[in-house]
Amino acid sequence: MRTMTPPSPGGATSPAEGGGKRSVLAEWQLALPLALAFASIFLAPLLMLVGVSFFNDDKISQPGFGQWAKFLGDPFSYKVIADTMLLGVKTVGATILIGYPLALVYLDASPRVQKVLIFVIVMPLLLSVVVRTFAWIVVLGREGVVNTVLMQLGLISEPLRLLQTELGLVISLTQIEMPLMLLPLISVMSRLDPNLRDASAALGASRWRTLFTVIVPLSMPGLVAGCLLVFASSTTAFISQSVIGGVRLIYLPLLIWQQSLVVFNWPFAAVVSIALLISVLTVVSALSWLGRRSGGYVHG
Amino acid sequence: MITRRHLLAGATALGGASLLPSIAYAKGSVAAAIYPGTWEEAFRAIVAPALKKKDSIDLELQPLFAVDQVAKAKAARGAPPFDAFVLDPGPRITAIEGGLFEKLDAKKLTNASKLPAGLVDEWGVGVNAQVVGIAYNPKKVPAPKGWKDLFSDPWVSRLGITGFQTTFGTVSLIEIAKVFGGSETNIEPALAELKKVLPKIAAVGQPAAMPGLFQQGQCDVIYTNTQTVATLKGRGVDIEFVKPETGAITFLTTLHIAKGAADADNAYKYIDLVAGKEVQEALTKPPYNFVPVNKDVPLPDYLPMKSLDEMSSFIRHDWAKINPLRAGWIEKFNKEMAK
Repeated sequence: MRTMTPPSPGGATSPAEGGGKRSVLAEWQLALPLALAFASIFLAPLLMLVGVSFFNDDKISQPGFGQWAKFLGDPFSYKVIADTMLLGVKTVGATILIGYPLALVYLDASPRVQKVLIFVIVMPLLLSVVVRTFAWIVVLGREGVVNTVLMQLGLISEPLRLLQTELGLVISLTQIEMPLMLLPLISVMSRLDPNLRDASAALGASRWRTLFTVIVPLSMPGLVAGCLLVFASSTTAFISQSVIGGVRLIYLPLLIWQQSLVVFNWPFAAVVSIALLISVLTVVSALSWLGRRSGGYVHG
Repeated sequence: MITRRHLLAGATALGGASLLPSIAYAKGSVAAAIYPGTWEEAFRAIVAPALKKKDSIDLELQPLFAVDQVAKAKAARGAPPFDAFVLDPGPRITAIEGGLFEKLDAKKLTNASKLPAGLVDEWGVGVNAQVVGIAYNPKKVPAPKGWKDLFSDPWVSRLGITGFQTTFGTVSLIEIAKVFGGSETNIEPALAELKKVLPKIAAVGQPAAMPGLFQQGQCDVIYTNTQTVATLKGRGVDIEFVKPETGAITFLTTLHIAKGAADADNAYKYIDLVAGKEVQEALTKPPYNFVPVNKDVPLPDYLPMKSLDEMSSFIRHDWAKINPLRAGWIEKFNKEMAK
């Protein structure tokens, strides 16, 4: 950590520098309680999780690699990992597709309309995810709003199967996770200098060209932050996955729940949890790297 | 003149006096785990006020599913977060094997003699019976006769199923296995038959989501207990209960005292009260619709039996045999049913 003590002329050690060293030590010590709190709250449980995964039996008495071998040796595990990651990617894609135009609408709106839009965006976050998920049963059900409207319009003769399908799950997750995409996006876009668009237009660029060469690159940090949040949240959305997706669509959170709370095989649940953690972290790290690169491109 | 000594004496007397009414009134509390939903609502509305009135004990309810209770008590390692469990047969055996219960002294229960034989043992007390069978929407499909009917039209395309996560799901799938040649420990025939009709089945859902899916018309035939049927009926849902031709299934829900319970004496009073006539009778009435176990309580008319004795002819399962196999069954169900 840097200190505020100015360097002494000629490089000689002065009493002021001695004081600086003391302040370095003091600052380092100041961070200690927080570091210990972080270690006990985040690091210790994570290490315990890793430790538990290296036991062969559900009584956590025989150390070994049995649970890892069982998980890694089963092709079904890879299918579940791939399905979980793919669900995250599809949800991210859908939230971008709908969220980005919404953010542009926000950008062009008057301050009064912007206030209303922010309220509308934040409001779903104030409702429990359980309530929002069950509301989707009413919307997507066989006798739900979507099917009733389509039937009455004569567009379909038999109700569509929307619940317990991946399409239905992605639709509901898109709505549930939308605030997580919109808030960082709007926060970054609001800080864009409005003169940039005028300058782009004055130089002869069409609205589309301005969008793709000015606004999109400049809003990239917000977009990447939104993708990170939506991806991490949708891949771990146990309630929506199990209620809307049902039991035929199997994702990692369902396996963790079954193994830890139904079968009580905590070591295997720990292995699946670590697999979920690693899978999500890999994608999130790639997105972060993309975010850093886009930041460099815009500002560099 | 008021001296410091006078002030201290006065303050002490005032403080002490303020404690007196509570000492005289409250005799402590008991923390009890309870199933979320109907059970929690019923115990909050009926049991908590009754316990306060009778024994001046505050009932603190902690809503937790059976498996969550066992997981929490296991993780707490001897310092349980509640004094009393409420469990189904499977988790009960897991908890017994895990040494999570205090042994029960039946002499401390005044209502023990009012319960049918076998409901009180060294580990706990049966306070509610669950009766499981088939529920259907009479406006959408005709009444099925038994488990085999569920695998043919018009029922199969309106069928909603759940896996082995819950007690009612597990016992229903065992009974399905039996009609196709399986047994209590061999569920393969059930999975094989399910796989054949899987594309037709209306819903394969989580147990907690099934009443909602039925209510929304996503499926019109499910396996469930009489309590869920009565509750949905009370909300105006078109639903009827059928006792399968091979017999209805029954299992007990039991209360237990946690090992290392902070208020074991109060836990005895709580369990005794729940087994008593007044509470059992109140729990039986709508909207809670419990199946009573106290012999002095008349049975409600929606149940598929006229007396508690008839329940001895209902199908019961040996959870000591089922529990060790259940993890494998869940894994198999996942793989067979996965898209």
